[in-house]
Amino acid sequence: MTSTATGISAVRNRALVRTKRSRGRRGGSHVLVHIVLGLGGLLMAFPFIWQIIMSLSTNAEVQSVVPTFWPAQLQWQNYAAVFDRLPFLSQLGTSVLVTTIRTLAQIILCTMAGYAFARMRFFGRTVLLAIVLSILLVPSQVYLISQYQIVQSFGWLNTLMGIVAPGLFSAFGTFLMRTAFLNMPAELEEAARIDGASPLQTFWSIMLPLARPSISVLAITTVLWSWNELLWPLVVSTYANAMPLSAGLATLASDVTVNYPVLMAASLMAMAPVLIMFIALQRRVIDGLASSGLK
Amino acid sequence: MQILSSGGRATRRRLLLGFMGVLGTAALVAGCSANSGSSTTTASSSYTAPDKNLSANITYALWDQTQKKAIDANIVEFNKAYPKIKVNVDVTPWTDYWTKLQTEASSNTLPDLFWLNGPNFQLYASNGKVEPITSVVKAGAIDPANYPKALDALYTLNGVEYGVPKDFDTIGLWYNKDLFQKAGVSVPTSSWTWADFNTAASTISQKLSKDGIYGAVAGMDGQTTYYNTIFQAGGSVLASDGKKSGYDSAATQKGIQFWTDLIASKGSPTMQQLTDTAADQWFVSGKAAMYWGGDWARSEIAASPIASSVNVAPLPAGEKKATVIHGVSNVVAAAGKHKQAAQALQVFLASKKAQQQQGDMGAIIPAFNGTQAAFAKSLPGVDLQVFLDELVYAQPLPTSKNTAAWNAFEAALLPDAFSGSKPVAATLKDLATQMNGALAKE
Amino acid sequence: MTIKLSPSRSVPSIAAPGTRSRRGGAAARRDGIWPWVFVLPLLAGVGLFYIWPILQTAYFSFTTWGVFGGATWSGLNNYLRLLADPQLYTALANTLIYTGIVLLGVPLAVWLASLINTPGLRFASFYRVLFFLPYVAMPTAVALVWRIIFNGDFGILNHALSIFGIRGPFWISTPGFALVAVAVVGLWSSLGFAMIILGAGLKNIPPELYEASELDGASRARQFRSVTVPLLTPSIFFVLIITIISSFQLFDLLYALLGSKNPVMPKTMSLVFYFYSQGFVSNDKGYAAAIAMFIFLLIGIVTVWQFRLQRRWVNND
Repeated sequence: MTSTATGISAVRNRALVRTKRSRGRRGGSHVLVHIVLGLGGLLMAFPFIWQIIMSLSTNAEVQSVVPTFWPAQLQWQNYAAVFDRLPFLSQLGTSVLVTTIRTLAQIILCTMAGYAFARMRFFGRTVLLAIVLSILLVPSQVYLISQYQIVQSFGWLNTLMGIVAPGLFSAFGTFLMRTAFLNMPAELEEAARIDGASPLQTFWSIMLPLARPSISVLAITTVLWSWNELLWPLVVSTYANAMPLSAGLATLASDVTVNYPVLMAASLMAMAPVLIMFIALQRRVIDGLASSGLK
Repeated sequence: MQILSSGGRATRRRLLLGFMGVLGTAALVAGCSANSGSSTTTASSSYTAPDKNLSANITYALWDQTQKKAIDANIVEFNKAYPKIKVNVDVTPWTDYWTKLQTEASSNTLPDLFWLNGPNFQLYASNGKVEPITSVVKAGAIDPANYPKALDALYTLNGVEYGVPKDFDTIGLWYNKDLFQKAGVSVPTSSWTWADFNTAASTISQKLSKDGIYGAVAGMDGQTTYYNTIFQAGGSVLASDGKKSGYDSAATQKGIQFWTDLIASKGSPTMQQLTDTAADQWFVSGKAAMYWGGDWARSEIAASPIASSVNVAPLPAGEKKATVIHGVSNVVAAAGKHKQAAQALQVFLASKKAQQQQGDMGAIIPAFNGTQAAFAKSLPGVDLQVFLDELVYAQPLPTSKNTAAWNAFEAALLPDAFSGSKPVAATLKDLATQMNGALAKE
Repeated sequence: MTIKLSPSRSVPSIAAPGTRSRRGGAAARRDGIWPWVFVLPLLAGVGLFYIWPILQTAYFSFTTWGVFGGATWSGLNNYLRLLADPQLYTALANTLIYTGIVLLGVPLAVWLASLINTPGLRFASFYRVLFFLPYVAMPTAVALVWRIIFNGDFGILNHALSIFGIRGPFWISTPGFALVAVAVVGLWSSLGFAMIILGAGLKNIPPELYEASELDGASRARQFRSVTVPLLTPSIFFVLIITIISSFQLFDLLYALLGSKNPVMPKTMSLVFYFYSQGFVSNDKGYAAAIAMFIFLLIGIVTVWQFRLQRRWVNND
């Protein structure tokens, strides 16, 4: 078998044909698989089912020493209470904005850097890569005070820039994208070079489309991380309206007597957008990985 | 791009930028960090109430979301006097509050006015991060005599006072009347001693054991449990000069032994059970008849299914009667850009009018003498007056310059003494040694 | 029979770190200014926001640092104290045990990911969402649920064990068991991440290879061993590296699940927890910086060692 681009697409085409065929042939014989995944999935989801139940209970039921498995009366007002206690919509807005900016920035910066680290030759490449990766090895709290002082010196306290800035750069993302590019066929690149394409053109029109599956993974992980990040936004912003949802939620848990049902309701509400995004993108992002790899 | 309002505390030090090119020269790092050291401690120019038209944006930082409503109401009142001072209330959850405050203090960007508690006060005051109230008191804007004495002492360091309390907390003996009745034991009174408490606890545990009910719940928290018994036994946590541990004294040992005995007599759930399920949870779900808790437990108890059968008594007496008292203070940042505006707010929040409003609206006991009536009446049928009457023999929460350092030793060592897995005397000897080591470093 | 693996590598795979480019094209030349155009934006940000703080921390680890600044040079003092500190070794052992348990999730994730990617499986998307849920969870909220599950007297876990006649322990308040409980939750929440990465890797295995092995009469289990796992090794390696790094950083989960006042904490704390409690709670920032540098070096060594080791087992072509 050849390793050329045509060879690949031949493989791909046969793969697609085969997937269709096997679907018809094996459709009904997955009982065991369903049992394993069903039970496993139930175990995974169990704490959330409980969380939903708790979000509809009274605080006394949640605090009860003997767990209450079903509330005497469903307390839907716990969800309404979230809006009373938090500027939910403006914090949701901040979360969306912060997450979007960081995700886009990481996709651009990490993809470019990852590409260079994987496919280009330059002085100090290995050392620079090691330096970038080394920042993963340090507990995140180590960065707190220094990063704060840097943001302060730029005059970015209480600005969107301040919340967003350190999270624009990611060693994890660079590592992820580098590994993706490492495994791509060199032939395409060579062909482009022979055709006289600049490195930027090659990157943009040939390599980037190939990396789409990994870019999706990067997007998912960045969105999740950014959405749930807590300490940094709390420290650099002092205005409740300007904080993301994760930080707002934490203030709910700070009450002297925590209202657990409201906390549960709020955390489910905060999770919902990410979950919906995941489900919506699932077909494209995960199911679509195989076919989007090569175009 | 939406740029958020930048408030009043954006210092623009361009320190780090210049350094970035040069990687890690120790001298440079030193130069950078030295800059964030202490600033004015004594420069207290005399305070005069600012002009009505003083215009400023200030930030007021606190950690308790439940009090925000009352504080917002306070600020509306404040703005009637100073319409041009805009106050941004910044609520940060408890654990992150201190991390944030430390970060800000290291960069001299502390909020203009902020909550400080006893355990952290000396740390900030001794490092020159907090503005004394000397000038405000001299100007007659705040009179410390209006607040509980023990709390004025809590916020005084080397004879200089830095704040007055906004509220206070004492500890009471909450009890469940129904469980006492069920067990046929008579309810606590103000004349109870340790012996009465212990007998009642073990009797109830014995009689109601088949329902999994205990007579009392111990706890792992000094403020609500063992500091109280230490004081009641005539012992101390910290010597009066604040430089030595009190844990190696015989009286202090009695105060700790109290809880070990309570657990050993099965009057309380074990330490493990108390870790899995917190003391207040045992009480509000009707699984424990007595609970040593602060006045702040009021709202949780009122919302629980046992609300109608609860009452409260003063803590039982050991050698003497005693309770721990603590309260939060509003302090002004020494390096603040709008100190005059911040002090004006500090003065207002310390006023009778503001504290009365807090007491009427919030779940707290305001500190200003004579504003507590609303609190005492806030739970019909429950004798909340107990928490106010205890002021007579209240002792301040023990604190030093780096309270957290030895609090960590307490949390690490004492549980073994309470559970009986290590002898009390030996544990306390260890604790005293470690604590003295930490105090010596202050 | 031998399965010819080489063509597969021409299909893009999600992860194969640390491989030397075996494709001749890139190796021979230098690309002039272009690499810098690609790399500098990232390097500038990383240098400013991450490397600079690390250098500062490295410096502070040789000082006694006041709570709010003002470092005085104290040479190796912090490190000498650290090496003699029994709490360091407890924290180190706990971190290693935790990491070990969470790593058990990697083979589990490989197996589950391959099940979910069974061709023609119905409800696969639904299962994927279920396994993804814990990864989206907010730790503080979910920790509370787990506390209720692990409760020694009333938790469902012990309730379930009692059906089999087992008296369950006080999970979160017995030394040893507490760490296991934290690790179980850690494994639970990291499984979804591993499955995403591995799932993407699986999608890139050309079905021909399965077809070929099927023609040769290989069973499903045999296929799993001889096709799936070998071809997935780059992704597995990536997941391993990230799992180890993040397990060594254990903090949030420990804090949320056990609570900072839990009496078992001194016996259960992780390295990062120890760092945090020294630096931000006990206000000993110089010492905390030394702990941070210890963590840095430790993970660094482990990671470099893994990169060396991978040459032996990761299937790079």
